Amino acid sequence: MDNKHIGKSLLRTDAYEKVKGQATYVADIKLPGMLHAKILRSEYAHARIISIDTSEAENMPGVRKVVTGQDCKILFGACIKDQPPLAVDKVRHAGEGVAAVIAETERQAEEATKKIRVEYKPLPFVTDPLEAFKKNAPVIHERNIEYNRVSGFNPKEGTNIFHHYKQIKGDAEIGFNESDVIVEEEFFYPLLSHVQMEPHGCIACWDSEDSVRIWASTQAPFIVREIVGHMFCIPFSNIIVNAPYLGGGFGGKSDVSIEPMVAYISRFVPHHPVRLILTRKEAFTSSLLGRGMKGRIKVGAKKDGKLIALKASFYYSDGAYGDTGCNVVTATGFVATGPYEYEHCDIDCYGLYTNTPPVGAYRGYGHPEAHLMSERIMNILARKLNIPQAELMRKNFLSDGKTNAVGQIIRKGNGDLHKCLDEIESALFNKPKPAEDENYYYGRGIAGFMKTPMMLPNASSGAIIKMCEDGTFNVSISGIEMGQGCQTAMTQIAAEALMLPTEKIRISKEVDTQFSPYEWQTVGSITTLRAGNAILQAAERAIQKIKESVAMIAHKPVEDLKYEGEWMYSKSDKNFAFETKLLALSFLSPDGHGVGEPIETTGHYYIPGVKFPAPEIGGGDCCGSWTFGCEGAEVKVSKKTGEVTVTHLAIAIDLGRLINPMGARVQMVGGMMMGYGAALMEEILFNEKGFIKNSNYNQYKIPRLSDLPEKLTVKFVETPDETGPFGARCIAEHPAISIPPAILNAIQDATEIDLFEIPVKPKELLAKIGGANNGNN
Amino acid sequence: MATTNITLVVNGIKHELTVDDKETLMQVLRDRLHLTGTKNACSYGACGACTVVMDNEAVKSCLIKPAKYDGKTVLTIEGLSDGFDLHPIQQAFIQAGAVQCGYCTPGYIMSLYALFNKNLNATDEEIKEVLEEHICRCTGYEFIWDAAKLAQKMLQGK
Repeated sequence: MDNKHIGKSLLRTDAYEKVKGQATYVADIKLPGMLHAKILRSEYAHARIISIDTSEAENMPGVRKVVTGQDCKILFGACIKDQPPLAVDKVRHAGEGVAAVIAETERQAEEATKKIRVEYKPLPFVTDPLEAFKKNAPVIHERNIEYNRVSGFNPKEGTNIFHHYKQIKGDAEIGFNESDVIVEEEFFYPLLSHVQMEPHGCIACWDSEDSVRIWASTQAPFIVREIVGHMFCIPFSNIIVNAPYLGGGFGGKSDVSIEPMVAYISRFVPHHPVRLILTRKEAFTSSLLGRGMKGRIKVGAKKDGKLIALKASFYYSDGAYGDTGCNVVTATGFVATGPYEYEHCDIDCYGLYTNTPPVGAYRGYGHPEAHLMSERIMNILARKLNIPQAELMRKNFLSDGKTNAVGQIIRKGNGDLHKCLDEIESALFNKPKPAEDENYYYGRGIAGFMKTPMMLPNASSGAIIKMCEDGTFNVSISGIEMGQGCQTAMTQIAAEALMLPTEKIRISKEVDTQFSPYEWQTVGSITTLRAGNAILQAAERAIQKIKESVAMIAHKPVEDLKYEGEWMYSKSDKNFAFETKLLALSFLSPDGHGVGEPIETTGHYYIPGVKFPAPEIGGGDCCGSWTFGCEGAEVKVSKKTGEVTVTHLAIAIDLGRLINPMGARVQMVGGMMMGYGAALMEEILFNEKGFIKNSNYNQYKIPRLSDLPEKLTVKFVETPDETGPFGARCIAEHPAISIPPAILNAIQDATEIDLFEIPVKPKELLAKIGGANNGNN
Repeated sequence: MATTNITLVVNGIKHELTVDDKETLMQVLRDRLHLTGTKNACSYGACGACTVVMDNEAVKSCLIKPAKYDGKTVLTIEGLSDGFDLHPIQQAFIQAGAVQCGYCTPGYIMSLYALFNKNLNATDEEIKEVLEEHICRCTGYEFIWDAAKLAQKMLQGK
């Protein structure tokens, strides 16, 4: 198909205001009568609150109100209602909000928080998921099973298990009995911080007892609306959530984080907007974290490399509250196999309360954790079978007609892993590996990946299209622009569908729940697929409306009309041309009567046929869309220090249809570098009191320019997905998934040391290399 | 709280202000002068998002206290180009695809402005040294590097 806009690198439609410093983020908003909040945070990882004395704080200059959780009966959550807006009778993680001061200025609020006296009775705490799983572990939620929750989440009474997802295919025991070779290993993926550049912020203002306006740094304004609506039992239509530009999300601003707290405390000072902007430290200690998994995987295969059976267990440290983590737990079960077919699977995924900040979505949503295990174990198994890893992968790749762990049969339109691996192999193995020299060991590693967006079965995206009098269009979507480039991609899709130049399309720049179309939330890399399809439907309806109006005006049958953007032509009459902009407000005929309707339409899309996973055995049609790909890494390991230098990162992804090459490449490189950070640099560390001890940029290091490898390979394979707009599918989170296993596989190739944990610690690696060499001698 | 009277020229406009001794340049710019293009991401000089140009030097405005900015001339992202126009560095960031969430963007642009103003023929190593002071979580840096090189070329008139 010949496309004018799809597949072209349209420059970002949001870039001008961003380079001019004009793009507005929550922290930039100033409102009349606005007050400022600061939060007193728990000094203990787990403690009873004995008493809170706010009297001195209340008398501090500028203080309007001090709010505590005492007497608060509200528990919020979308799936599991287990979290109070401020700690009530106990604190469950260091950094949890205990009291809020609302004052004229931020400084005054901060000074007053220092005057609040809290008496605690410390309790034993736990931050490790396997410790939390033990029978004698400190119980973090005594009411675990009493919380209101939607069905499908399975807590265990008297334990820290708030959710156990089981995924069964075939009979793993039989499978292992039939296997010639079995390998089994344990893995650790630490807790990470998203470290979005923009710290979380929220402003809330109660206009009356049952109506509130909220401005939030959120990927999910409609989820904020839903949760606030349930918290206060007020009409959802009276909750106006405005989402301006977002300074990075990566999942850490999906669902909810600080918004329920700000909605709660601002209710005590009605008619005043109350603003809370987290400090960088608070973004680490008091928003959401990601990952935090310990797991075990066992796979069985035939001598020829055919995979037979998989048994895997995942234990997630999900922090003080389980709502944001519970679906990550389930998603892990969908993809524990990696992109391979096993006849028999037995997968257990546990979500555990621990005394850390709540854990939620983080770029990849359970997939990076699962793939660390699945792609490392393929590397280990390949060596045991004495088969090249690529051959083992090819032999077992999910492809047309194969059945994945949840029981779905893969279609050709889901993508082509073989082509992706071909690309990675030719990028990595096109020349011989450098020979070990005086200073370095050299190695190359590969890994596959697959991803599905986790979502409610009816999670939808909407689009509104309005023609203006001059023939330009306003297109509203509610996909949040958080850097991924959805506004630009949507401009291209709308322009293509309406057959107009991109300059004639203006995508909405911010989202407001009272005006914008519904969007479940901007997660799962799904905006291009879902909002793109919504735009296509709205455009189709607009074109139909235009045709019907022209048919009435020109007395021609609708079938005779040919829409070509700015002009409507007739198939039978070469001389006929009608300028479509004349219909924008309905057509004004020469004698002064109106014809037809204004050109204003809506479109919606949700992935049809998706269901909740089956009870007990999991799976079924619970995954709406799949994307496949492969990644690779070349490394050198210093013989002196054990330090790992990545010289080449590579990805080949089957994205169905490339919408914007430049935008897709920057997403791929950014995602690979996020995976690089996880593999080599990043890890949330706790001190002996359960505090995060590296809650700043100086100690929690993330990649900088100097980390960028000399070489980057980004390859796009295009097997169109019949369900996606122009064949496109989800790609945004994906590059972060399998870089860590690719790097660990490369380290193994270089040093013959198998690593099972990230981030790689040079000293430990060096010691292992030394140990192995001594052993050989 | 101790206060000081200071003068400050920002984007060509003179301001006389009474500030408290802890008030950073970033706070003055964002909270008093409403120049919110200067971004706050860490408040302790580790990320470069709040970079502005003060007396021709790129500075992390979150670290600058009143004694250091009194009497100084400051350029922020809002003052970099006139009206609707773009400075070549801004243009380069758009063309090279170096903008994603945009939160780190003004800081990068101001740092490069200070660098190229002093030395338009800065070496790759010198450019890298400046960019290393900044954090971007979205792009993975490839296109930011490209933008810096493109900006240099554009400024050199190549």
